[in-house]
Amino acid sequence: MQRFPLLLAAGIPLKAESPWEDHLASPLPWGNWITNSIFVSALVVVFVVWFSRSATRQMEVVPGTRQNLFESIVESLYSTIEGIVGRRMVALSFPLLASIFFFILFSNWFSLLPGVGSIGWGERIAFITVPNVQVPLLRPATADLNLTLGIATFFMAFWLIVTIRELGFIGFLEHLFGVKGGFKGLFALLLLPIFFFVGVIEVISIIFRPVSLSLRLFGNIFAGENLLSYMITLGKQLGLPEAISYLMSILVPIPFYFLELLIGFLQAVVFTLLCAVYIQLSTSHDDDSH
Amino acid sequence: MDFLSDLFANFGINWPKFLSQIILFATVYFILSKFAFKPVINMLEERRRRIEESQLNAEKIKKQLAEAELRYQEILRKANEDAANILKEAKAVSEEATQRQLKEAARQAEQLLARTREEISAERDKMISEVKAEMVNLVIQTASKVTGKILTPEDHNRLAEETTRQLAA
Repeated sequence: MQRFPLLLAAGIPLKAESPWEDHLASPLPWGNWITNSIFVSALVVVFVVWFSRSATRQMEVVPGTRQNLFESIVESLYSTIEGIVGRRMVALSFPLLASIFFFILFSNWFSLLPGVGSIGWGERIAFITVPNVQVPLLRPATADLNLTLGIATFFMAFWLIVTIRELGFIGFLEHLFGVKGGFKGLFALLLLPIFFFVGVIEVISIIFRPVSLSLRLFGNIFAGENLLSYMITLGKQLGLPEAISYLMSILVPIPFYFLELLIGFLQAVVFTLLCAVYIQLSTSHDDDSH
Repeated sequence: MDFLSDLFANFGINWPKFLSQIILFATVYFILSKFAFKPVINMLEERRRRIEESQLNAEKIKKQLAEAELRYQEILRKANEDAANILKEAKAVSEEATQRQLKEAARQAEQLLARTREEISAERDKMISEVKAEMVNLVIQTASKVTGKILTPEDHNRLAEETTRQLAA
């Protein structure tokens, strides 16, 4: 009973582990790559697909409750993304950006379910009790850099294809290194080295985009999980009596739990909107953007 | 590069795990874009199109209504104008007819009066001539009785002429 709050969250290691490697009786030779976060990702995939399909299986002009909920989320997301990337690019980029939003949102919120990160393998001290979970059975999917970097890389590949399709390869190079501001003649020639240097910086910033996107999301969710775990065990770590530390383990995490709900949503929004901004920056023509 | 390798190792990044996560996300992307977002976007576009169409129709109807109102006002104005013209014409015609009838009545009255006057005049002349003739006879009879002689036709004629001349004077 006193252990129950500990189910809410637990400190998780930096990298996702595969339970098949050390802790299961018969390790699968092909299964070492299936980490606890990949397992959670698969569960989230199933949930997202089920949720969206159940909402859109029988579309009506006058929608039912579930269709209405899904439509209102999609509609507000669609108008937000349209406002950033413009009407011309929204049809092409919306499905990917909305997929990113839904997948990250549900992954983030999934990590707040009791048992995620707190049930797993460790040094056993009683029948079903371990003092520290070394390899959780379920790890928050977005607290694995493989996933966040994977999504960011997938997006950057899409971004590159869309940008080159929109501007052309030469247009893309001009967009990066070309002299902007409508300068012509000798003045443009003088400015060329400066804009080339600016282009090099731009290329470096583009290379770092997936890193910044993925580390931001990973950091927030990983820290959130550990923060919740720390708040649950705060009383114990301060050496308070067991009754007080038990009470604290219930009361202290509550505001942080809501904070994590908000952060889960905000991180999904931030990731999606940044991706939309990157598309807008590269696909808007010079006349519009400079 | 060693730094990156160390970083990736510390964060547990390796190709199979990385690719599996990409495949899982790609699955979500392809399924959602084909089976969820496409119908929803189509539905939203359809709804947006209908709303725009309704707004256009409403504007069209409003415009038609304004035009109909204008036409109605124009017809009403023209009808009023026509009615006023007709009334004016009717009044003029009526006035003319009245005047014509009055003139006709006056003319007839005049004719009647003239004829009556003529008749009265003729009647009076006839009466006067009768009276004169009677007077002549009376004078002749009286004269023959007073004188006691039988008047000759010459006397008769002379007396008659004398009487007539005196009556005429």
